[in-house]
Amino acid sequence: MSTSHLLNVDGVSRRRSGREAVTDVSFSLNRGEVLGLLGVNGAGKSTTLSMLSGALRPDHGRIELDGQDFIAHPALARQLVGWLPESAPLWPELSVEEHLVAFARLRGAARQAARRAAQSIIARLQLGDLRQRLAGVLSQGQRQRLGLACALVHDPALIILDEPANALDPIQAGELRKLIRERAAAGSAVILSTHVLAEVVAVCDRVAILHEGRLRQDAPLRGEQGGTSLEAAFFGIATGTSA
Amino acid sequence: MTVAAVARLELRRLAVRPLAWALAALTIAWLAWTFVLGLGQFLGAQVKLAAVADAPGFTDLVAIPLLAELAKLAFLVVPLMTMTLIAGERRAGMLALLASTGLPPWRIVLGKYLAVLVWLALWLLVTLAMPLVVGFGSTADWGKLASATLGTALLLATLAAIGIACSTATTFPAIAAAMALIVTLALWTIDRGAQAAGVSGGFLEWLTMATHLQNLLRGLVTSSDLVWFALAIALSLSLAIRRLASDRERQ
Repeated sequence: MSTSHLLNVDGVSRRRSGREAVTDVSFSLNRGEVLGLLGVNGAGKSTTLSMLSGALRPDHGRIELDGQDFIAHPALARQLVGWLPESAPLWPELSVEEHLVAFARLRGAARQAARRAAQSIIARLQLGDLRQRLAGVLSQGQRQRLGLACALVHDPALIILDEPANALDPIQAGELRKLIRERAAAGSAVILSTHVLAEVVAVCDRVAILHEGRLRQDAPLRGEQGGTSLEAAFFGIATGTSA
Repeated sequence: MTVAAVARLELRRLAVRPLAWALAALTIAWLAWTFVLGLGQFLGAQVKLAAVADAPGFTDLVAIPLLAELAKLAFLVVPLMTMTLIAGERRAGMLALLASTGLPPWRIVLGKYLAVLVWLALWLLVTLAMPLVVGFGSTADWGKLASATLGTALLLATLAAIGIACSTATTFPAIAAAMALIVTLALWTIDRGAQAAGVSGGFLEWLTMATHLQNLLRGLVTSSDLVWFALAIALSLSLAIRRLASDRERQ
């Protein structure tokens, strides 16, 4: 397996709730690349992302992160991985700023550095007005933005976003796309799981389609034509009419 | 450093949770009432006590019963304080997010355990302040009080460790609290059957938590008692860490 990629996933499988949730998935990702992960509900996207974040251990296969065995060394996630889970879980009794400082501290930043990192991401995601507000009273869209900020506060090399545009208004969704491209330009690799094909077309360089736990397609995306063929490929795979 | 970060985070959350404040306020009010009653009875019995050689003093009649009362309350309070530590995090999806920060399970468990210990230590200190204030103005048996305080502190630390272990075993905080309560009550009374059958001493008596606390409350510090508490804490925390580590496989 090559070690020149930031992420190498090789033959990863995982059973959940008595069934094969992900089977023999392999792909790799370079720094600066944005990979769109598509699939219908239950296709195995969230399980795959949980394994890539270090929250879940694969039953089989290998995951290499920055040239190191990620399964044997899940602590690599501390500096290298930022994950926004689908439900954007938060501590309702803590404020926006407290969340960000806490996540930076948990990632190993010293107190002052954690505060600076929190200020920086608050400014970038325009969370200034919500700084002192408790997470428990945030709207769904605000929770999503805070979850995103928690995933990015330590400036990770691999950013994993599971349905990040959920509950965002069109302006915020546009900002999110801009942010993803910005992070990719700065050298981070991004995996974006979504049901919205237009979002993938707008920000991704490559698309991987999962269906029934298996990776059915992993191909680069090129412009408008790529979008049209992506739609055809996705519906073909999802409905079982593709070759 | 991350253990401290987890502990600080958990303390911050405890500080803004109504449950921690409500439990502290209600139990301290109850303990203050118990202390005032005990002190009143002690003062009322001064004349009788003066006529008895080697009569029990303030420490035996007021301070240690107060700590014993706190120990009784702890059987309910500690499971309530520990029930959400892991179970609540798991239920809210925060545990997976914490795992994704690369924190090993032992740091998560230890950080949360330390936070609860700080809360329990403050609870014990506020309670202890009552006999201390009176004790400084009278003739308290400081050695016995220190032993009883050590016993109570070890009991609280053990209950907290058992509470965390139970919290790692489920997704439901209420079930975690019930489990912790039943486990600690079982540990407290495990030798009842043997006693009813007329058998005393032996391994079952050593296994019983009450045996070790009562020795310390009487002012008797033995290595056997200290080892029992240390083993109970270590075993409970190890179980908690193992269960949390297996989450990555089991989810």
